[in-house]
Amino acid sequence: MAQAESVGGDLQLVHLTKMFATFTAVDDLNLVIPKGSFFALLGPSGCGKTTTLRMVAGLEEPTSGQIMIGEKDISFERPYRRPVNTVFQSYALFPHLDIFENVAFGLRRRKVKEVKSQVEAILSLVELDGFARRMPAQLSGGQQQRVALARALINKPEVLLLDEPLGALDLKLRRQMQIELKRIQVEVGITFVHVTHDQEEAMTMADTIAVMNGGKVEQMGSPTELYENPRTTFVANFLGQSNLISGKVFERSDDLGVELYGNRIRVPRSRTSSNSDSLWVGVRPEKINITLADRPIPAANVIPGVVTDASYIGVSTQYLVKTAWSEELMVFEQNLLNSGARPGDSVNLSWDPAHTFALDANQDVDAGVEVPEADS
Amino acid sequence: MRTRRWLPYALLIPGILWLAIFFIAPMFNLGATSLYDPNGSLDTGYRMTFHVANYGDALSQYYPQFLRSFSYAGIATISALIIAYPLAYAIAFKSGRWKNFLLVLVIAPFFTSFLVRTLAWTAILGDNSTFVHFLHTIHLLGPQGRILATPVAVITGLTYNFLPFMTLPLYASLEKIDPRLIEASSDLYASAFTGFRKVTVPLSLPGVVAGTLLTFIPASGDYINATLLGQGARTSMIGNVIDSAFLVRLAYPLAAALSFMLMAAIVGIVIFYIRRAGTEELV
Amino acid sequence: MIEKPVSVPGFAQFIKAQATRRAVLGGVGATGIAAFLAACGTSAGTKSGTAAGATVTDLSEKDKTLIVSNWPLYIDVDSKNQSDHPSIDGFTAKTGAKVTYTEDVSDNNVFFGKVRNQLAAGQATGRDLIVLTDWMAARLVRLGWVEKVDKANVPNVTAHLRQALKSPSWDANRDYSAPWQSGFSLIAYNEHVTKPVKDIDELFTRPDLKGKVTLLTEMRDTVGLVLLSLGKSPSNFTNDDFNAAMAKIQKAVDSGQVRKFTGNEYAPDLAKGNIAACIAWSGDVVQLQFKDPKIKYAVPDAGITLWSDNMLIPNKAAHKKNAEAWMNYYYDPAIAAQVAAYVNYICPVDGAQAEAEKIDPKLAKNQLIFPSAETLSKSHIFMGLDAATEKTYQDAFSKVSGG
Ligand SMILES: Nc1ncnc2c1ncn2[C@@H]1O[C@H](COP(=O)(O)OP(=O)(O)OP(=O)(O)O)[C@@H](O)[C@H]1O
Ligand SMILES: [Mg+2]
Repeated sequence: MAQAESVGGDLQLVHLTKMFATFTAVDDLNLVIPKGSFFALLGPSGCGKTTTLRMVAGLEEPTSGQIMIGEKDISFERPYRRPVNTVFQSYALFPHLDIFENVAFGLRRRKVKEVKSQVEAILSLVELDGFARRMPAQLSGGQQQRVALARALINKPEVLLLDEPLGALDLKLRRQMQIELKRIQVEVGITFVHVTHDQEEAMTMADTIAVMNGGKVEQMGSPTELYENPRTTFVANFLGQSNLISGKVFERSDDLGVELYGNRIRVPRSRTSSNSDSLWVGVRPEKINITLADRPIPAANVIPGVVTDASYIGVSTQYLVKTAWSEELMVFEQNLLNSGARPGDSVNLSWDPAHTFALDANQDVDAGVEVPEADS
Repeated sequence: MRTRRWLPYALLIPGILWLAIFFIAPMFNLGATSLYDPNGSLDTGYRMTFHVANYGDALSQYYPQFLRSFSYAGIATISALIIAYPLAYAIAFKSGRWKNFLLVLVIAPFFTSFLVRTLAWTAILGDNSTFVHFLHTIHLLGPQGRILATPVAVITGLTYNFLPFMTLPLYASLEKIDPRLIEASSDLYASAFTGFRKVTVPLSLPGVVAGTLLTFIPASGDYINATLLGQGARTSMIGNVIDSAFLVRLAYPLAAALSFMLMAAIVGIVIFYIRRAGTEELV
Repeated sequence: MIEKPVSVPGFAQFIKAQATRRAVLGGVGATGIAAFLAACGTSAGTKSGTAAGATVTDLSEKDKTLIVSNWPLYIDVDSKNQSDHPSIDGFTAKTGAKVTYTEDVSDNNVFFGKVRNQLAAGQATGRDLIVLTDWMAARLVRLGWVEKVDKANVPNVTAHLRQALKSPSWDANRDYSAPWQSGFSLIAYNEHVTKPVKDIDELFTRPDLKGKVTLLTEMRDTVGLVLLSLGKSPSNFTNDDFNAAMAKIQKAVDSGQVRKFTGNEYAPDLAKGNIAACIAWSGDVVQLQFKDPKIKYAVPDAGITLWSDNMLIPNKAAHKKNAEAWMNYYYDPAIAAQVAAYVNYICPVDGAQAEAEKIDPKLAKNQLIFPSAETLSKSHIFMGLDAATEKTYQDAFSKVSGG
């Protein structure tokens, strides 16, 4: 790398903003992506992920803000001078060059010696030995994807940008490639910024995820942190599913006492992201115990209801339970603990206060609810 | 579906008939004419004597015009390529909403006749034209020097007249290039110029091949530019010889033999060229 | 300008200035591979269709029509309607024959290519009267492809054809043809860029003209004037004379004196001064002079050539009598003057000058339209050539001229 001397460091986006005419695609984005981490940018279509990546790659000029790698400001550096490489959403392999030359392209531009051995090494890393002399059109989608990866990786960039690299693959291959990508990232130790709108993909691969929405970062953290303690309704809904119930604070002590339509429950302070008295109280469906009305209740936070639907899906049974105020809550019960609840039964839903989170009520309760995709 | 088997063949019939009537039959006739007795005349008639020597005679007499045709056409083709490439590139990538308008401008010359366009150049290149005065002023042209009625004028005319044939295929192949490939090259350490050289140019090669052929072939058979912009015998191309052999001198066998040789030479050159360009499947 | 009928001289001159008979574009444009292929159809055809055997029943009486093929801009036009020809209306009024007048002769060779196959095969061309230049007319007469004119039907031609045009070598009695219009080939120069040029020797050798001279691709026009400059007559010369003329032309070409050989695209070049002097057709000179009086012509003492475009009746013409009536009608001096007021070329009809005087005295004085007997006496008609000689001469000439 020509700029390899620059003290490699974290990738920082500082107040990064991009406007197309009057439309703000990326809005005052602030991110620190630690060196060597596998970072995922997760968000729905059109939220500005690609635009962010393109600014980092130098293919789009920021309207304002800065992009730094370590101490170095690269905001207005020409793309071919940045220690950054991209795996494009569409791969963008050069159709007139064979696989070898596609992969060698960056090396040749930088007049690096020993092209052959490096190309062979990287092709074997992506398990494409023997494909060197094929043309891109003669490869399957998954193979093309790996060529695109090899073509970028061979340059040992400080940051590798991946724009939905697996989007075009079928589910099985995608899962396989996710593991592969992760393996490679660990092996080469380069910072990966991986863009996806598939939350499962982000969760399996990334050390850190930033959830984007409407050009802004909603929340950033490890997959567990984001899942267990979402701080916005968008994150709560977009990452997995959540039951959100409107509540009022009636007591503030070591923890919060919240009343949900007459049912008093408790929420740890650390899991409350608002000082307001009106809150959305959330709990993940798999954290809820379902017990018939006449059975002992195993956890402290309790809401009664009536089962309206039960569907058995192998690993678990999914229940819909209607509360007294007609909200339908979702419960996933592992098939190990069979409660025997059937539609029409009166039940108690209970969960541990430690699994409860509370969000500001001043948000759309349905933000981030995804129409489930067929393959995820 | 047995009854429908014949349908595809039936659909070919009009095309085959067309070819047979308007291409194969005249070709056959031309071939036959080229073997007639060269001493035939309207009064004595033209007899078929399988006079193969017509070809040898035509070649030994007119090889300078053949060479001249191919060199003029070759230079015109290269000049057209040099002019058309940036033009097509600009239209394909930089013209924005002016694209269609510019494309119409490229083909606009076709709205007037070939002849009128060529005649216009006699005004542009004339001895008293502003352009020639300018060349005199900057001493690029001696005091007695001129442009009109020189090989330069003929080649200029050829270049101009066939420019759209070069521009359009170039535009078509440049337009097809995915701009993301250019971005990919810049991401992979290619400066704008290197990206152009290593990605744009190779991907536009099919257009270059098509454009050069579409320019070279008609240019080497052209005679109007040499007639109007040239200097008689000193710039006459093989098309002029065929034109006069056929229409004025009534030397039909000679004209036919020359036409056949021109066709053969062009086919030969084209095959050689395509082989060298290595793009058989693209043309 | 005051609205006046057709015969306003200024208007006639204006029309003249529009274009010349050999419309610049036609000469080159129509030639091409298509014509080439078309004409190759019956290359093996031998001389067929003799004058005697080719005649068909004349439909003239029953079918009062006439189909004429002529050169563009070679007849009078109505001042208001360019596609109306008053003299043709007069013809129809007089004879009752409706005329289909087509301006489809733009080049002798190309027109020959068009009709050659039918005439060689003894078929009708679909035309009753065509207009072709001397040498091409001579070829058709020689090949027996045209009908003999019945003199009884053309008394005006017999009475009014100008003396100088009466007996070309290829049709000594005018049995087959009658001139439509005639013209001189002479020297023209542009006084803006050169002093007068009085003969071929000056044209070929004067250093100030170097590279600024053009000659005509029509072999007879160029060679004719050069023969005259050598003291030979184009009406009667030998192979040696021809070779001497060719040598003289070759020398002028080799020295760089001659810029090129042209069809009538020389006219705009002469007007612009790209060329200073040239061998030119008189009709072009008339037109150029109207726009710019500094375009001058010279009649060398050695003489000039006179050529005609001739009306001919092709074999198997369906309306021969009507065609003869047309010939007779246009040899009426008054009608001839009416045409002369619009066309830049020499009127072949005696007595037309007097009629023209009534239309426009200036027109009647123009030596290139109504040449005096003295000018005519300096002019020579190129002799008819047999096929072999013609081929030999054309081959030799095209080597020099670049065809
Ligand atoms: N060149 C452009 N001009 C105008 N608007 C643009 C441009 N590029 C992107 N946008 C807009 O900016 C927004 C963000 O686009 P971007 O491509 O970054 O989305 P994304 O998050 O990558 O979506 P996806 O998951 O569908 O790829 C979109 O609304 C898009 O329409
Ligand atoms: Mg995107």
